[in-house]
Amino acid sequence: MDLKELFQSAFTSLKSNGMRTFLTMLGIIIGISSVILIYSIGQGAVVFVNNELSSFGTNFFQINPGSSLMSSMGGGADTITLEDVEAIRKDTSLTNIKNVGAFVTTSVSVSANDVDKIILVYGMSPEIVDLLNPTMVHGEFITADNNLNSEQVVVIGDKVSETFFGQGTNSVGEKIKIANKTFKVIGVTRSGSVLFGGFFDNALFIPINTAMNEVAGSSTIREVDIEVKDTNLMNETINQVTELLRERHNLKVGEENDFITASATDSLTIVKTITNVLTLIIVAISAISLVVGGVGVMNIMLVSVTERTKEIGLLKSIGADDKDILLQFLLEAIVMTGIGGVAGILLGIFGAGVIAILVGIPLVVSPIAVTVAFGVSMLVGIVFGMYPAQRAAKLSPIDALRYE
Amino acid sequence: MKTKDDERLIQLINIIKDFPMPDGSKYRAIQGISLSIKKGEFLSITGPSGSGKSTLMHIIGALDTITSGKYLFKGKDISSYTSSELAKIRNKEIGFVFQSYNLLPRTTVLKNVERPMLYGHIPSEERKSRVMKALQLVGLGEKAQNMSNKISGGEIQRVAIARALIMNPEIILADEPTGNLDSKTSREIMQLLHDLHEKGSTVAVITHDEKIANYTDRRIHIVDGKIVSDMNKKKYGS
Repeated sequence: MDLKELFQSAFTSLKSNGMRTFLTMLGIIIGISSVILIYSIGQGAVVFVNNELSSFGTNFFQINPGSSLMSSMGGGADTITLEDVEAIRKDTSLTNIKNVGAFVTTSVSVSANDVDKIILVYGMSPEIVDLLNPTMVHGEFITADNNLNSEQVVVIGDKVSETFFGQGTNSVGEKIKIANKTFKVIGVTRSGSVLFGGFFDNALFIPINTAMNEVAGSSTIREVDIEVKDTNLMNETINQVTELLRERHNLKVGEENDFITASATDSLTIVKTITNVLTLIIVAISAISLVVGGVGVMNIMLVSVTERTKEIGLLKSIGADDKDILLQFLLEAIVMTGIGGVAGILLGIFGAGVIAILVGIPLVVSPIAVTVAFGVSMLVGIVFGMYPAQRAAKLSPIDALRYE
Repeated sequence: MKTKDDERLIQLINIIKDFPMPDGSKYRAIQGISLSIKKGEFLSITGPSGSGKSTLMHIIGALDTITSGKYLFKGKDISSYTSSELAKIRNKEIGFVFQSYNLLPRTTVLKNVERPMLYGHIPSEERKSRVMKALQLVGLGEKAQNMSNKISGGEIQRVAIARALIMNPEIILADEPTGNLDSKTSREIMQLLHDLHEKGSTVAVITHDEKIANYTDRRIHIVDGKIVSDMNKKKYGS
């Protein structure tokens, strides 16, 4: 029997039980659409983070105090000092270093216009401007002079400006109290990046010297950001700086670093790792869903074979051999899972598109993922349709004709 | 030069057919039947319910296997044929008309009649013209596109006859072809089978109805799986 006729016959048969066919397809649709959805979102997230990092530049690395990222983030470690930063700046052997910036952080009480809030304050070295490239809404960022003189000036995030001075107000020149000391607002900044939006929008920035002397009352650094000239020599430079700091901190051979280094590309690696793990988990869950869907297909095909036993007998009496019957039922299963697969792919892409718009990440549809998903859906049809099709094919013509 | 055996389309020699019973015993439905059918014959196999006439028809139609004996189709012993070889014989050499469930549901008259040609790998351009010719022969030329469940009982049997003819088989086997029809339609169907015989087809009708059997030239009567009479028209009269 030719393929065109077989396909037509499969479609006719599936259409005649439309609702049953649709419900059977659901398992496949859900399985395939979740794979496509998660894979697209994951890839979109990687592209997004990549774009974000390149807006910051991937030509720098950071040093945080503490022996682990958690202790560093917790702010408990005080192993990096301003003297360390100066030592890095002054070391003439570090020829690949272009720029060294640093900042300290502290959460303090901030008040203005009778509004009182606890806000994260960054004490920034002026070099940070070149590194992080903040977008200025009004005024200017902290300058080297501001820092040298430990001036009580502040650059505020536009969300903070909104909180204290109202939306749309140019707050440059206004006075703001940080830890009971009066600071003059010299600029309002906003992040050009979505991912690091909170960094610039919701914080205050004051000269690092002022922060250490007047606000935080300590000389430990939260983070050192080092810009390199040649990114190909990034790892060598990180090693050189690590050696310098180990020497300064009197760390013996074999002793663990009391600081951690991370480059921008490390962040991308982390995102990729998370995405890959997430994709693997979803693929595993979807595989279960596809197996369950496949069992549903097998179940319905077995019901169909039983219901159509007399039809099989009739077909055999007019000359269909076992292979013809096998192909007919197998093709029905494949068409069913194939259509389910296509519907799942479209649904997955649609869902990923909606989420991409809502979250603000690019929609990435991988042709390989789509091809594999379609192939898998067909494979489910072959694997789970084979047994019912074989049962139909092996029916003796006379038993099938006599079936009541 | 043709011998007498050459004219024999079907030859059954001492055929026995047992069916296993639920208690492990065997029920002998056909008890050593020998008979031959020549090309161009119009015959009927009659008998009361449970006599074994349908089993005999299934054996003749290569739908069922035999327990012992010999079945020669066009001189060849097909008793040991594979299921695929038997399917080929059913497709090319035998045309079936059943009492009920004759047509595929959910599809048109045309597709039903065309179906054996798909299994026979007849090219598509040839298929449609053959279907139309067969449908015109049974008087249903204008109903080709009708759905099979939207035509009358008599028309269903006509479509089944058209399908039985489509591969130009050696024999048409009709199992109670008028069983579900009123007497007028039954007469029309028998007349159609008679006309086909007149044109040279070999037709065997299985029936329990004497009136239907009277249309045929040869009557084989079976009781309890044995032939009790085998007469041609001259003997049994019309």
